[in-house]
Amino acid sequence: MDVSRRDFFHIAAALGIGLPTLGSAASTPKRADEVGLKDIYSFNARGNVTLLHICDMHAHIKPLYWREPSTLISAPNLTGTPGFLCGESFLKHYGMKGKTLDAYFDTHMNFDALAHKFGKMGGIAHMKTLINHIKKERGADNVMLLDSGDTWQGTGLALKTTGEAIVKAQNYLGVDVMVGHWEFTYGKTRVKELIEMLNATFISQNIIGDDSFADDFEELIFKPYTIQERGGAKIGIIGQSFPFTSTANPKEFTQGWSFGLRLDTLQTYVDKLRKEEKVDCVVVLSHDGFSVDQEVARQVKGIDFILSGHTHDPSPQPTVINGTVIVIAGSHGKYIGRLDIDIQNHRVKGYEYKLIPVAANLIPADPEGVDLVNSLYAPHEKEFSEVLGVTKNILYKRDTFHSPFDELINDAIIDTMDSDISFTPGYRWGTTVLGGDEITMDSVYDMTAITYPNVYTFELTGKHIRSLLEDIADNVFNPNPLYQQGGDMSRLGGVTYSIKISAPSGKRISNILVKGKPLDDNKTYKVSSWGGNLQNAGTNLRDSLTRPVYDVTASYIRRQKNVNIDGHSNVDILDYDCGCPRKGSKGC
Amino acid sequence: MERRSFLKSFGAVAAVCSVGLPQIASADEAKKVVGPNEMSYDNAVAAITGGKPVTPSAKVVVSAPEIAENGAVVPVKVTVESPMTSKDYVKAIHVLASKNSNVRCANIYLTPANGEAYFGTRVKLGGTQDVVAIVEMSDGTFLSAKQNVKVTIGGCG
Repeated sequence: MDVSRRDFFHIAAALGIGLPTLGSAASTPKRADEVGLKDIYSFNARGNVTLLHICDMHAHIKPLYWREPSTLISAPNLTGTPGFLCGESFLKHYGMKGKTLDAYFDTHMNFDALAHKFGKMGGIAHMKTLINHIKKERGADNVMLLDSGDTWQGTGLALKTTGEAIVKAQNYLGVDVMVGHWEFTYGKTRVKELIEMLNATFISQNIIGDDSFADDFEELIFKPYTIQERGGAKIGIIGQSFPFTSTANPKEFTQGWSFGLRLDTLQTYVDKLRKEEKVDCVVVLSHDGFSVDQEVARQVKGIDFILSGHTHDPSPQPTVINGTVIVIAGSHGKYIGRLDIDIQNHRVKGYEYKLIPVAANLIPADPEGVDLVNSLYAPHEKEFSEVLGVTKNILYKRDTFHSPFDELINDAIIDTMDSDISFTPGYRWGTTVLGGDEITMDSVYDMTAITYPNVYTFELTGKHIRSLLEDIADNVFNPNPLYQQGGDMSRLGGVTYSIKISAPSGKRISNILVKGKPLDDNKTYKVSSWGGNLQNAGTNLRDSLTRPVYDVTASYIRRQKNVNIDGHSNVDILDYDCGCPRKGSKGC
Repeated sequence: MERRSFLKSFGAVAAVCSVGLPQIASADEAKKVVGPNEMSYDNAVAAITGGKPVTPSAKVVVSAPEIAENGAVVPVKVTVESPMTSKDYVKAIHVLASKNSNVRCANIYLTPANGEAYFGTRVKLGGTQDVVAIVEMSDGTFLSAKQNVKVTIGGCG
């Protein structure tokens, strides 16, 4: 739904909205009827260099709704720390007020109501207007646009063009440097083709050859770093692609490449940039994940800034660890992070940061961007715009254990495959459909568009299911960030269970019920799953049932017409009282 | 046999051979020398040290991934800081996997002629566990270091 500027101000006044600014730019929140574009642009400019940062766009070149999580549970030692903040705890941590434009972007609270008032988020045409404004203000030669990856995948358009449409969008935005994760799921050959089309430098210090008979055995696959001059300063940028790509996504796409954190070589490159290349500022462009990068800052010395990605966290203020400043810019094109750096005498003297919300109703669209989006979508418009049904309640993707859109997908799979249990992956990308809105084919692709989309149906014993759940839980709730992979818990259909997050590895899950009956360790269950590799653990794969998840989901919604998901979680958390606990607390 | 599967099967061997060490005992050979496959971790350590104390040391560095890309071939490198002179050298590097059914992965015996105490191989890990290096020095003391490696079916986004 679009609202006019006048409506927006009227509504903003009713809600008492002010736009808080950060750091030394902070001032008394303005009266709502004064909030406008200049508040979004407002920035206490500093120094000679501006880094603009985007991450995890997941191919969303059009504005969308994206609701942040209402449940974000972690191991107790990490509870309420940046990366594990949501809702009220998020607002308290960052000193923000509710019902503001920023709160609408950063939290789930009052999302349905605020969405109708504030409208959509992101979109390249709106991002470009913001980028152009900043380049004009700072001088284009002093600005760099860095992309932390997960850009080429996440929509039907990305899938149908195997990433090409999104590379065109990046070139239009003017991306200068990028790293990757889901990018690699197009396969090695296509990745290299797309990098050829991309007007940016693709860097990664943590991907090396794994084929001991190849020339590149233990050699770098990409340039580990790039040195760029901006505002008279030499800036060294080291690339850190997703360290666990080969574990989290099918190995076949990156056969012969080895991923990993490689903090020892990261330290070597930091030292090399400082001592040999004599850079004035060291930046790590990362897809490690926000909590992993906080650990990186503890272990690697001499990094000035980490521009993080992967875990989709909005971070309105930087996190500083051992002198390293860490920022992350949300997801789905909702934000552009602006980092002004004051570099004097070959070192960083100071900085200023703002996470700028790309409010599509306030930032005018750049006409060139609108034309580009329209031309890229035109060949697919007929398929994507098909209305499959209408949802009574909001459908969203995030939350640690359960989300309504995943419940809908699991319902579709169980209904179609007649399986006992369905697993849907705990990805953090997708879309949000507001209650009462139509569900289009495009929305289904937003939730499911991957290069390995098949739903597999096979058999697993109860005992195996239990151990798989424990294994997945240990990836999500490991107290050591370096052993996490940054996703949420797999979503289960047909199953309810209880979980004690603080219990030791292998002992977290209890009271597993399948269709209301206790899981029998010795019984064989018919299981369907997609987006992972559970089928490799199973037996008696039913080849004849294998179908892409977007077809299964779309057909089901067409049959249902009216979708009614109540959003009630199938998981009972035993040791937390609420979804957004505060630091050191079990409650909110 | 296809080139790729050939390379896959022989990758581990290449990694070992490229180090060029004089003696390499595989896990199988170790088993024949020191006892049954099912030896517990503590017993395996005792078999190596003869009951002498083992001191964790920063001189020993075990490099292994935090999360295994493939539990069947986990790259492990061990380096020991040592002058490698006839008076002070590393006599042996033992690689153990704390929870494998056969915990002993490799026993590497060195002499000062090696020049450097460095060994790389790939080990198979049956599950999440520590990869441990126990190092015998020429003065008869034992040093150690370890790295936890998570073996998981994975899945996230």
